[in-house]
Formats: sequence, structure tokens, C-alpha cells
Amino acid sequence: MSDGPALDSAAASVSRAVDPASIVLDHVSRWFGNVVAVNDVSFSVGPGVTGLLGPNGAGKTTILNILAGLLRPSTGGSSVAGRGTWRDPELYRLLGLVPEREAVPGYLSAEEFVVLRGRLQGLPPPRAVEAARRALATVELSDVARRPMATYSKGMRQRAKLAAALVHDPPVLLLDEPFNGLDPRQRLHMIDLLRRMAAEGRTILFSSHILEEVERLAERILVIYSGRLAAAGDYREIRRLMTDRPHTVIVRSSDDRRLAGSLIVDPAILGTELVDGHLRVRAADYGALARLLPRAARSDAISLHEVRPTDESLESVFAYLVEPGRSR
Amino acid sequence: MIGVISAAATRALLGRRRTLLLVLFAAVPVLVALLARDRGANASETAAALIDVLVIRAVLPITALVLGTAALGSELEDGTAVFLLTSPVPRSSIVAAKLLVAAGGTALIAGGSALAAGLIVATDSASVGVVLAAVVGVVAGAVLYAALFLAASVVTNRALIVGLLYTLVWEGALASLFAGTRLLSIRQYILAIVDAVSGLLSRPYGNPFGETLETSTAVVLGAVVLAISVAVAIARLRAWEIGPAD
Repeated sequence: MSDGPALDSAAASVSRAVDPASIVLDHVSRWFGNVVAVNDVSFSVGPGVTGLLGPNGAGKTTILNILAGLLRPSTGGSSVAGRGTWRDPELYRLLGLVPEREAVPGYLSAEEFVVLRGRLQGLPPPRAVEAARRALATVELSDVARRPMATYSKGMRQRAKLAAALVHDPPVLLLDEPFNGLDPRQRLHMIDLLRRMAAEGRTILFSSHILEEVERLAERILVIYSGRLAAAGDYREIRRLMTDRPHTVIVRSSDDRRLAGSLIVDPAILGTELVDGHLRVRAADYGALARLLPRAARSDAISLHEVRPTDESLESVFAYLVEPGRSR
Repeated sequence: MIGVISAAATRALLGRRRTLLLVLFAAVPVLVALLARDRGANASETAAALIDVLVIRAVLPITALVLGTAALGSELEDGTAVFLLTSPVPRSSIVAAKLLVAAGGTALIAGGSALAAGLIVATDSASVGVVLAAVVGVVAGAVLYAALFLAASVVTNRALIVGLLYTLVWEGALASLFAGTRLLSIRQYILAIVDAVSGLLSRPYGNPFGETLETSTAVVLGAVVLAISVAVAIARLRAWEIGPAD
């Protein structure tokens, strides 16, 4: 579905005037040995919050690392603000990266760490300290900023890494699983913070494997599954695609055979099958099934013992989205 | 920028327990010197033997190996280097700053060890000359070994093993079997430098370390090793890639 209507094509965005906050992947693939981690992915992201959604191992981290110049695309091109991302240290004036790995120099305090990052960005000492204090206040870490980071909780480290990425106030922010390890209150704060920064015109791309997180924060979603871009666009659109896909439910009733007969006449029911003493019903969408099943049972005086959905895992949702030849 | 990075690298070095272990290790030649003093032997020969066997063969390469691989390689491995690498800093400055710290630390630890141990056994001006010459050699060796091992740690994450094999097998065992390996041996460059410097300081006594390379050969080859190591480290760091996601 790389030609989906909601997806800006990479070519179109290149011909536009280059936005300092734009991120483009142009037919990027990346493999490690024989393993294809990212397979011909193209997208373009502008200011606002965009979520990179997909199960673990889908290729989200690889995509972020390519954008951050830490991995070379095997084929294709990746750029931030019109600059190629590979082998260009000057890129990091425009970019802040919050990696997923927790490793931080534990012997440094958050303040020392963020000041160091400011100095590496070329800020003179007094301004680096000032910028660090501001960044630490932004992530609400000022209280503990002088403690060695080795004593921090996972959530505190996550916020220290974010402050380190924010110290030079970059127009583009890449975050790999930023909600990992945060408690619910910190999660809300992070959502609020990222929204605020996006409202100031920044481009924020974050990855997550949790649909609810992405839904609450992102204006746009890129769905990655098995290294491919499965869907891209407005989150409501993606949500509808995810809900309106065919569903399979398992039904046990007093008369499975007769129930199957009266269900199958409706066009919304794609198929019925009697297996292992129960009935499998495949329906075009949930709404139709929820309407038809009780009606059929009532009119034929069949009692339903059990109705159970079979494929509600996020994995199966993603797998459905990348099914070849899927009708829309 | 080099100052910022080397200050951070020094801090990292001082924070590690292995740095303390290295200092303890570097104290061994000093303890041996305390036992060996006043034995009535030729002070120049005693000092030379002590520094050669304990410092130039052991303390120096081991310290350079530990500090050289810790400077950059360990950070690349544990992921903390990402914070340095995602900064708008030329990769050449990163290598220069890390080398400065690794070589400086090695020179301080091994050079200090050679100086202290040597001065304990030195009794006359000739033996003091030998000791000072040896310290110059150790400092030069610190730069060469640190550069070589730092480059190795960017190229492979088995730099510790590679470095040990190089010092023990290539410079140790093979050098005594095949004279040709001397041309590619930092230890031999050090000995040639010590020879030249001690010649300047106390010519009549000759070279207490035995036969060495020509000084000019050693200096040129040493410069080549340094240049290649730095160039390889910079080139590999420019193209460094983070490992695949877990």
C-alpha cells in the first residue's frame, strides 16, 4: 500500500522547497547479512508528531538509526532537511536522537551529562550550563540533576536522554520507544511535552509497539511490519483500516450447522466452517457480525454458548495490513 | 572541542576500577627495584634490565592495551558512544582526543613506573642517564601502542585478544625466532630510541639493551605505524555503524 493516498511520496517532497524540519526516506532497504531489516521503505514526514508503529523486530529501530546517521542504508537514500544522513556529523546540529538503549555514562550526573552534550554541540560553557538547566527543567529532572545517573530509575534515565537530545533545541527529534520504563504520570507528561514541542514547529518521529500510545500522541502514523511500510497516514484512517478488516470468530451454539446456514446468506459473512465441534465464522467487519449473529440465533431459536474472537493480537492486525492484494 | 572530549574521556578513565588496577600493576617494577638495589651489580645494567623486562615488556603494553581499548572501543560496545557520535564533531577530533587521553595516561603510568624503578637502582650519573633515556622511550612507546590498540578497538571488538597476541606472540616469541619481525615491532622502535637517547646522555657505556634497529629506521617506521593507526581509526569511525536492534 505504498501508493496509499495519505502517504506523501518521497519524490513529491523532494521537489518542494526543503523544509528544515523534514525527514525523507526514499526507497530505503537495509539488510544485516541475510536478514532484511527494512525493505524498500519510502516516506516523508514534516513538522508535527508522527508515530512509527509496529511490533518488536519490525524494523523501527533500524529506520530511526538510518535517519540518525548511525546506519548506512543498503540501498536508497535518507535525508533530514535535505541533507543526506550518512557520514555527515554536521547533521547533528539539526537532529536530536533519544536511543532506546539505556546506556548512559552512570558516573556522570544528568546535569554534567547534558552540559557535556551542549559543549559537544559547540555551546560555550556558560550557555551550555544554561541550556542544560532549561532542558532538564523541560523534562522535570531538575530536582535530581546532580545525582550520578547510575542511581536513576529507568524513567529518569529516559528523561535524561531526552534532555541530552534537546539541549541544542533541534528542529528534528527522533525517539526510539520513548515511553518504555515510564510510569503513567511520566507518560502523560512525556505526551504533553512532545505535543508542545511539535506545536512549536518541530518534527517529532517516535517509535512504539503500543497502539494506544501512538493513538494518543501522533497526528500521523507509519505502520511498519516485517521491515515494510504497511500503512501511512492519519491515525483515524489507520484505526479504521485496523477495525474494519475481516474478523474470524469461533462460535459454539446448540445447532452450529443451522446457524452457519442462516449466517452465510448475508453478504457480510465471508465464510463459515465447521471444525473440531465448533463453528468458525469469517465476517467482513465486526459491526456486521455483531448485528447478524444474535438476529440469526433468535430467529432460529438457537442458543449461543460461546462467541470468541480469534485474531485480536496486534501482530495479526499488522499482518493483515501488509497482506498482498488486500482490497480496501 | 578536543579539550571537551579529552576532559570527558579522562573523567571516564579515572572512574574505572581497571585504572586503579593498572596503577597497582605499575607499582610492581618499583617494588622489585627496592629489592634489587644495593646488590653491588652494575647500576646501569640493573636499571636497564629492570625497565626492559618489567616496564617495556609488561607494564607499558598492558597499560596501553587497557587504556587504548577503553578510550573508544568499550564505549562503542556498550552504546554510550552514541552520545558522542551524534554530535557535530569531526571524527578526527574524536580520535585525536581519545588518543591524547589513552597515550597520556599510558605515558604517566608506565613512564612513572620506569622513572621511579630506575631511579631507585641508579647510583651514578651514567645509570641515571640510562633511566632517563628509557623513560623517553617508554613515553614514545606509549603513544605508538595506544594509537595501535585504539585503532584495533575501532576495527574489531576483540581488540584485547588481538593486542595480547601482538605483544606476547609477535613481539615476544616470534621476535626471538625471526629477526625480520623486528621491523614491525613497537618494542624494537622503543629500544632503538632508548639506545639513541642513552648514547647522547652517556656514550662511553654503549647500549645496555643490546642490539637494536638503526635509529632512523625505528623513527620512520614508528611514525608510519602512528600515522596508519590514526588514519584507520578515523576512517573506521566515520563509517561506524550501530549494531542491529536486539
